[in-house]
Amino acid sequence: MFIDFFYQLKNAGVPVSPTSFLTLQKAMDMGLINSIDTFYTAARAILIKSERYFDRYDQVFAHRFQDAQMPDNEGLVLDEITRALLEGWLEDPVSLAAAFEMDVSDIIDLTPEALMEYFKKRLEDQKGRHEGGRTWIGTGGTSPVGHSGYQPEGMRVGGVSRNKSAVKVAMERRYKDYSRRGLLTQDMMGEALKRLRNMVPVGPKDEVNVDETIYQTMKNGGEIEIVFSRRLKDRIKVILAVDNGGWSMDPYIPVVQTLFDYARDQFKDLKTYFFHNTVYDFLWEDPVRINRPFKVEDFISFDPKTRLIIVGDGSMAPYELMAADGSIHVEERSGKPSIEQLKFLSQTFPHCVWLNPVSAQLWGRTTTITAIQQIFPMFELTLDGLEGAVNYLMAK
Amino acid sequence: METHQNDKFMGASRYVLDDELAGIVNVSMALEMPLLLKGEPGTGKTMLAHAVAENLNMPLIVLNVKSSMKLIDALYQYDTLTRLNDSRFGDSKRDVSNIEDYIKMGKIGQAFTSKARTVLLIDEIDKADTDFQDDMLDVLDQMEFDIIEIDRTVKAVCRPVIVITSNAKKDLSDPFLGRCNFHHIAFPDPEMMRKIVQVHFPDMDTHLMENAVAAFYKLRKIDGIEKKPATRELINWIRALKTDPDFNPDSLLKEDVPFLGVLFKKSQDYTIALDVINRRSPF
Repeated sequence: MFIDFFYQLKNAGVPVSPTSFLTLQKAMDMGLINSIDTFYTAARAILIKSERYFDRYDQVFAHRFQDAQMPDNEGLVLDEITRALLEGWLEDPVSLAAAFEMDVSDIIDLTPEALMEYFKKRLEDQKGRHEGGRTWIGTGGTSPVGHSGYQPEGMRVGGVSRNKSAVKVAMERRYKDYSRRGLLTQDMMGEALKRLRNMVPVGPKDEVNVDETIYQTMKNGGEIEIVFSRRLKDRIKVILAVDNGGWSMDPYIPVVQTLFDYARDQFKDLKTYFFHNTVYDFLWEDPVRINRPFKVEDFISFDPKTRLIIVGDGSMAPYELMAADGSIHVEERSGKPSIEQLKFLSQTFPHCVWLNPVSAQLWGRTTTITAIQQIFPMFELTLDGLEGAVNYLMAK
Repeated sequence: METHQNDKFMGASRYVLDDELAGIVNVSMALEMPLLLKGEPGTGKTMLAHAVAENLNMPLIVLNVKSSMKLIDALYQYDTLTRLNDSRFGDSKRDVSNIEDYIKMGKIGQAFTSKARTVLLIDEIDKADTDFQDDMLDVLDQMEFDIIEIDRTVKAVCRPVIVITSNAKKDLSDPFLGRCNFHHIAFPDPEMMRKIVQVHFPDMDTHLMENAVAAFYKLRKIDGIEKKPATRELINWIRALKTDPDFNPDSLLKEDVPFLGVLFKKSQDYTIALDVINRRSPF
């Protein structure tokens, strides 16, 4: 029974084991499951072992039991298109608004995120109608974004209003914010911190553990048994370089900064620098990038064991990265192209990573990201990415 | 091994339970599998085990996991020091040649040897390292362990109801998860929170409750707080408010939030919260 459900979960990337599936069967045999609602909760408790997959489970459940649409990669393509639309909007709002047959004043006040949602909604409209052989532009009436059904109100805390059917609960996707694919948000701070906690080096086992030695010696009937434990090594130093130019990075800067600030006491030393798009002659110690420049060359005097973490979307015009005078700031034209500076950094600090808030699936499409990937190991700015980055940084 | 199929868990006097969770508790008990609970601090993970024990009328045994803990500490202890002492001075009633006299049961051991069925709460398992978790699994799976020193196997008299809690959002090892049922307790929403407060303060003034809960959720929303106030803090805070005779519930909706230290326990968080309240006067 429900074998297809099991495989749907598996195909959706939820780690489900046959053993747990058998347990579910056992539960059904025992008559513990007598309605779709109990099936929903019991199957989730038995099959799904992390709240990060609750959202996927909800989706698959809704799909299996009510033919709800799986969002899948279609969403990704839509994201791409809306991003392009958004760029178009920023350049020329009037003509784009005209294309959608809506008033500029209706949407001028929206935040970029709300705007993207709005576009996405319109594009989804178009998909539905296209089959009917009609063009989409011009057919839709304007609907303010607030009606699109998506409210970025943060995490829904559910588990109470139980008079809804399980399918409805599943379709609410209450656990969306726990999903591990999502970009880092304030809510995930605690979880992200746990990832950083691994950034603690351990030394060889060469310190005598007196208590344990006494205990083991006793157990040994008085024969001396010396027990060694691990020596604590010096804590590591971290340099954090954050791209804080342009709105594309804006949502992530406070998250990343808070994250490392909280983790500060587990590092020996944490220095934060800022840059715009990519690194030229200077990194700045002040977020406005005016008062306290720091010469990139001077990093050579730092401890090479320092971990360098660069956070940026790595997306820019290719010449900004490659050309000798690529910087948009006049005072930075030393003649070294940015890519050389990045190489210098990665050679100075062999333990380095680049964290990118852009989804990994899109990296291949941006020339500059591909180029940077050849210099720095790049990880997504997600929980998984962070975990990978920490593992990489701490590897010998 | 005895099982009590008919015992169903319905909730307890001091614990507000939603149906979803009650269903999961019952399924886990019927399947005889440990129930792993995760969730933010203050969502009532530990309280659940207390409520199960109270409701099913079983003794509760709590194993508070510590970071340095080894599995053997949870099973039994061989008190070598006392034995050495006895062998030197010999003034106790224990028989030095009988090692069994020097074996003391740990919490898991107590749950296994208890004649009545017990609720075993293994609290904050994520504090211990993965070895501890994996080793413990075998014990819980087989419902037995060996005391090496006296070559004896301790078998569970009654299979305890096992509730395991974990704070960390870090994943436990796969084999471990495979043997547990899993539930994540979300932070209660205001409606649920009102019920919880009601349970703790049955005769509380509605006006005060509304204002306190509203203020509490607003304070939780402040950005950059490391340890957000949870249910426990809210309950203590209300208790504090009630002791203050001059306190007027309406002031909560203005800028005046007394006893802020009860809600924010980290000095950094406290400063941020105080700052936000004074500067932006969000209420």
